[in-house]
Amino acid sequence: MKISLLVSQVLNGLATGMLYALMGIGLSIITGVLNIPNFAHGALFALGAYSLYTVIQLVGNFWLALVLAPVGVGLLGVLIEYGGIRPLYKAGHDYQLLLTFGLSLIVTEGIIIIWSPVGMSQLPPPLLRGGVDLGITFYPKYRLFVMVAAGLLVLGAWLFLEKTRYGAIMRAGIEDKEMVSLLGIDIHRLFTAAFALGCAMAGIAGALTAPIRGLNPWMGVDMLGIAFVVVALAGLGNLLGSIAAGLLVGVAQSLVALFWPEASVAVIFAVMAAILLVRPQGLFGIR
Amino acid sequence: MKPWVAILAAVVLLPVFVRHAIATEIWIFAIFGLGLNLLMGYTGLLSFGQATFFGSAAYVAGYLLKYYGINLFLALGIGVVVGAASAALVGYLCVQRSGLYFIMLTFALNQMFFFTAYQWTTVTGGEDGMPGIPRPSVLGLDIHGPLAYYATVAALFLLSLWVMQRIVESPLGKILKAIRENELRAEALGFDVPRMKLVAFVVGGAFSGLAGVLYAMLFGIVPLEAIGFVFSGNVVFATLIGGSGSLYGPVIGSFVFIWLSESVSAMWARWPLLLGVAFVIVVLFFRGGVVEAWARFWTWRAARRAPDRVRIDAPR
Repeated sequence: MKISLLVSQVLNGLATGMLYALMGIGLSIITGVLNIPNFAHGALFALGAYSLYTVIQLVGNFWLALVLAPVGVGLLGVLIEYGGIRPLYKAGHDYQLLLTFGLSLIVTEGIIIIWSPVGMSQLPPPLLRGGVDLGITFYPKYRLFVMVAAGLLVLGAWLFLEKTRYGAIMRAGIEDKEMVSLLGIDIHRLFTAAFALGCAMAGIAGALTAPIRGLNPWMGVDMLGIAFVVVALAGLGNLLGSIAAGLLVGVAQSLVALFWPEASVAVIFAVMAAILLVRPQGLFGIR
Repeated sequence: MKPWVAILAAVVLLPVFVRHAIATEIWIFAIFGLGLNLLMGYTGLLSFGQATFFGSAAYVAGYLLKYYGINLFLALGIGVVVGAASAALVGYLCVQRSGLYFIMLTFALNQMFFFTAYQWTTVTGGEDGMPGIPRPSVLGLDIHGPLAYYATVAALFLLSLWVMQRIVESPLGKILKAIRENELRAEALGFDVPRMKLVAFVVGGAFSGLAGVLYAMLFGIVPLEAIGFVFSGNVVFATLIGGSGSLYGPVIGSFVFIWLSESVSAMWARWPLLLGVAFVIVVLFFRGGVVEAWARFWTWRAARRAPDRVRIDAPR
C-alpha cells in the first residue's frame, strides 16, 4: 500500500474525527446538563448542513452561512427546549426519548419537504478549493480547514467550559443541579442555554460536513449513533475524552475504509463494543 | 380473567373488521411489544434497540426459510434463539451501564447491526430487503391464505401473552419489578442485578425474535427497516401509549400504533412527519397511555357517581 494513501486516510480520519468530537461534545453538554436522551441531535446536524446550503444560495457567502447556520439551529433548540423538553423534566427518560425521537422524524421529513429527498452537493468556498502539497501527499484544502476549524471550536468549547463563569455554571449543572439552583442560579435559563449550545454545535458540525460529504436528509442518522459512541466512550462532560474518542473512531473508520470500505460505518460501533468489552466504564471511567 | 375474554373476543372479531394483513400485523407487533415491556415496563430498562433482535431473527430465519426450506417450527425456534442470542450479546455490553448511557448503547449497537445488514448485500439484499420468504405448511395444513396465517399468528400471540403472564407473575418477575423500583435495595437483598437485567434482555429478545420471523413470513420479505432504529422507536411508542408496566399495555398500544400508522401512511407520502407529530402530542398531553387514561376515566366516573361520599383527596 502506498504510504501517501495511508497518510491521507489518517488525515481524513482526523478531520472527520474532529467533527465527531464536536458532535459528541454538543451531545455531552445537552445530556449532562439536562439529563435527557437527545435523539434529535442527528437531525439537527442535518438541519445545520441544509441551513448552510440555503444561506449560500441566498447570499452567496460561505462564511456568513457558516455563522448563521449554527445560530439558526441553536434558536430552534431554544424553541424545542422551551416548548417540548421543559414540561418533561420530571416525566422520565422514556417520554423524553419519545419526544426527541418524534422531533427527529419531524425535522428529517421537514427537510425532505422543504428541500428535496434527493441528495445535493455543496462546493467549498473558492478560497478553500483545490489541494495543497504536504510533501508526502496532496491533500484537499477544505479538509485541512475543517480539521483546524473543528479543532478551534473544540478548543473554544473547552475554554468556555473551563475558564468562564457561564462554563463553570454549566459544569456545576452537570455535577449537581439542585445545588446550582440552591445557589440562586436560574436553572431553567441554564437548561435552555445548554440545549441551545449543544444544538448549535450539532448545527456547525453539519455545516462543516456539507462540502465534504454532500447533503441528504438522512445524513444525521449515522452521526447520531456516532455521537452516542463518543459520549459512551468518553463519559458525560469529558471534553478531552470526547476529542480522544472522536479521533479514535474517525481514524479507525478511515483506515478500515482503505481495505474494507463496506464495513467502514459498522466498524465505529464495533470499536465501541470492543472497548466496552474490555473497559465497561468507557475509556476514561464514568461519573 | 376479564381481560382474557376481551382479548379472545378481539382475536376472533378483528379479521371481520380489519384487513387480514393488518390484523395479523397487530398481533405480531403486540408480541414485539410484550418483549420490550418486560424490559421497559417491568425492569425499568429503556431499550432503544429492540429492532436489533427483531431484524436479526427475521434475516436468519428468513434466509434459512428461503434457501433451505426449513419447516415452520424450526423457523420459529430459530427466530426465538437468534433473538435471544443477539439480545444476550447486546445486553451483556449494555447492562453494565445505567441510565442514559444504557439507552445510548442500545441505540449504538442497533446501528451496528443496521449498517452490517445495510452493507452485507449478498445475504440481506441491503436496501432492497430480502424478498421471497415462503410460508411453509404446518402439520400438513396450508397457511398461505391470509386467514389461516392470521389464525397461526393469533394463536402464537395468545401463547406469548400467556407465557409473559407466567413470567411476570413468577419470582423472576417480582425480582425484575424490585429492580425497577429500587435497584440498590434489590442488590442489597442479594440479587445479582446485572445478571437479572441480562435475563430480562434475553427473554425480551426471544419475544422480539419470534415477532421478527412472523413479520418476515407475513410480508414475504425482510425489509431493511426491520432492523432500523425507527422500528425500535415505534415499539417504544406503542408500548408507552398502551401503558408500560401493565401486561396488556403493549397489546393495546400495538392496536393504536398499527391503526395510526396504517391510516397516516395512506394519507400522505411524508407520513413519518405525522407520526412524529403524533409522538410529540402524546408525550406532551397524553402521558400515561391508554391504560392509565382508562383507569382515570373510571375513577372519575366513580367519583361522580358517588357525590355524597366525603371527598378527602387533595385538589390537583
